[in-house]
Amino acid sequence: MSAPTKSIDYANRHLRFGWWSLFVFLCLGLTLELFHGFKVASYLDVSNATRRLMWTLAHAHGALLGLIHIATAVVFRVWPDFAVPHRANISVYLLSASITLPGGFFLGGFSFYSGDPGIGIVLAPIGGLCLLLAVFRLASGQLASTNRQQQQ
Amino acid sequence: MIRLTKRLSFPTLLLLATAVVLCGTIITNQRPDIPEDEVTNRPIAIVEDGYVSSTTCQACHPAQYDTWSGSFHRTMTQVANPETVQADFDEVTVSEVAGAPMHLERRGDEFWAEFDDPGWEGPSSARPRITRQVVMITGSHHQNIYWYATEHDRALNVLPGVFLLNDERWVPRSSVVLSPPNQGVATHDGHWNAICIDCHTTHGKTQFDTPFRSEPISSQSVDTTVAEFGISCESCHGPAETHVDTNRNPWRRYAMHLSGEPDATIVNPVELDPVRSSQVCGQCHSIWEFYNSSDERVSSTSGLRYRPGDELRDSRFVAHPTTNANSTEMQQLLNTDPDFIRGSFWSDGQVRVSGREYNGLIDSPCFQNADTLQQTLTCFSCHTMHKTAEDPRSVSTWADTHQVSAGMNDNSACTQCHQEFAVELSAHTNHGENSSGSSCYNCHMPYTSYGLLRSIRSHTVTTPSIQESVEVGRPNACNLCHLDQTLEWSGEHLRDWYDLPMPPLNNDERNVAASILWLLTGDAGQRAITASSYGWEPAQTASGTSWMMPYLGELLGDPYAAVRYIAANSVRSLPGYEGLNYDFVATREERFENALDALTTWRNSTQSRNRRDPQLLFSEDGSLDTARMRQFFSQRDTRPLFLRE
Repeated sequence: MSAPTKSIDYANRHLRFGWWSLFVFLCLGLTLELFHGFKVASYLDVSNATRRLMWTLAHAHGALLGLIHIATAVVFRVWPDFAVPHRANISVYLLSASITLPGGFFLGGFSFYSGDPGIGIVLAPIGGLCLLLAVFRLASGQLASTNRQQQQ
Repeated sequence: MIRLTKRLSFPTLLLLATAVVLCGTIITNQRPDIPEDEVTNRPIAIVEDGYVSSTTCQACHPAQYDTWSGSFHRTMTQVANPETVQADFDEVTVSEVAGAPMHLERRGDEFWAEFDDPGWEGPSSARPRITRQVVMITGSHHQNIYWYATEHDRALNVLPGVFLLNDERWVPRSSVVLSPPNQGVATHDGHWNAICIDCHTTHGKTQFDTPFRSEPISSQSVDTTVAEFGISCESCHGPAETHVDTNRNPWRRYAMHLSGEPDATIVNPVELDPVRSSQVCGQCHSIWEFYNSSDERVSSTSGLRYRPGDELRDSRFVAHPTTNANSTEMQQLLNTDPDFIRGSFWSDGQVRVSGREYNGLIDSPCFQNADTLQQTLTCFSCHTMHKTAEDPRSVSTWADTHQVSAGMNDNSACTQCHQEFAVELSAHTNHGENSSGSSCYNCHMPYTSYGLLRSIRSHTVTTPSIQESVEVGRPNACNLCHLDQTLEWSGEHLRDWYDLPMPPLNNDERNVAASILWLLTGDAGQRAITASSYGWEPAQTASGTSWMMPYLGELLGDPYAAVRYIAANSVRSLPGYEGLNYDFVATREERFENALDALTTWRNSTQSRNRRDPQLLFSEDGSLDTARMRQFFSQRDTRPLFLRE
């Protein structure tokens, strides 16, 4: 006898994750602004241009992904039937993207090789792929919902 | 119109509006400059032959690009435009040039000059005026030398006036080089294209159809191109096209990063062996000539054959009198130019002009006799072409101080190998630990070279000796600081402290301050170097300054303009003479009058009676022995001297 499958509230998960993600990456953005304010050489010097670019990308991608999580949660809550079969996959892809995409950029800027980001950057394309799959699933869920509504 | 608007949807209108704004932005941001390949009156920069230009390097090496960009290597040659021209061209008349005054004017973003035609071969009274566009600039640190379009192909010639950046004034071109008075400095159409291009640009191709000056320029074709104006990345790292193409592959780049292996597709001069590494700098900072005329022809068409990492001597003759004074190549050079060696070297073969530091380096024991490759002195032992992030100095400060590496402007440069002297420095120097006499540079790399209207440090690391002064005439390190002491005084100290033999000295060398002998009897090069030392703070501290005025005053009337310039600057460094009213290119009468005023001021001051040292030619009553001065003056080495810096 198998254990009963626990129903997961994806909307709640992404709402919470989205806001916390937004909080974390806005904090990062604030830190970067402080670096500008105090002219921190290890961030602003031309020799650290790669770090500056990578961390800016980490901040931007992290914050935007936070917003995508919130938007996804809203969609799941407002349209209870939306992409129901794919919600588990969408959720995993989005969570993975939120960690690996900004994380890759951040690590890529942590230690780097002149004009090339550090080896941590390999996480970024993985995250990009996860985000792509998540968005594809969401888009195909939208398409399926529309077809169902037309059939009804 | 209303109907048309109604037929277009809102998104379409939005798209159209965006396109219009985009086009407008592109058009307004376009520079009105003529595309480089359409410029016809000057040499042009073309990316070819495997060169890619520094802008390509910048994408992957931003820090290296940034420090290079702030260096004077980048701005060695610049196209004249409102951003690069530092002199005033706004309806300016410059009278301090040969012949009639030069008139300068700005026409929009162009710079024009009207002056006497230097190429005129008829009677000088009938010399015509010419008006030419100024298109190129050499130098951005001490001087701006301006080049004008001759209106014959891409051939350039030099304006008769040079702009001194520190003084913010125009002076005659002949006054900024140490050349015999009234001899002038030869200028020929195409001079930049044939001569300057080799070291002041990257991958310059002269492209004269026949050798420079082998026939009248009017019958020659001059299609000069460069890969980049100024000394850019590829001057030292070699052409980078293969490097760029190969490293577009990220897998390769990361494999290189992780393995730590050097990239074989590009030359890193720091990683070459000491000889080849120094030759990268030596390709310009040396005195060299083509082996033969066919090399010159190949170079004219295809650019210089040398590439970083090559053996320099494979493609050119490096004049190095200490080893090849009797070579066929040197003899050929001396046949066409008997003063070739004297104009660049001291009589013992040590280089005496600036910009040729490689010649100095290769004569140094630290280069020749080091125990290991790591300990071998190279240019990069003390200098760096890219200021590091750890270096707290600004890029401009680093560039302004000869691109010396962080921490290498003091004894650390030497004690990185000679660690024994770092422990008990005074025991070695016999000077106070913090005294300028305990600076390795001051004793082992004294200011015995000349260039850019100043003395500069010799780059041959030597042991101070008075032998060099007695036999060669080169001022020695001791007496360049102890300006008020005799050769005998220095010789005795060197003998007592370091067991150096005392050479035979004549009566004057025993009894008269060496610097006074150099100033009064030396050639123009010795006088320039010594006058420069009179204005050098450590020397002033060691020797006092109250006695200097009559000797510097003598040099204010020197026949060589460059000597007068240095002497005037040294006078202005003396207490009480900061506001000296003297112009080194004024008429002889004006100069004499102003020098006399300064001397009278000194004679009437208490300063004139501060020192009564016989070696300074002062008698016990404080009067100056002018008869001895005149006697020394009559012994002066008056042979014409042109130092080819």
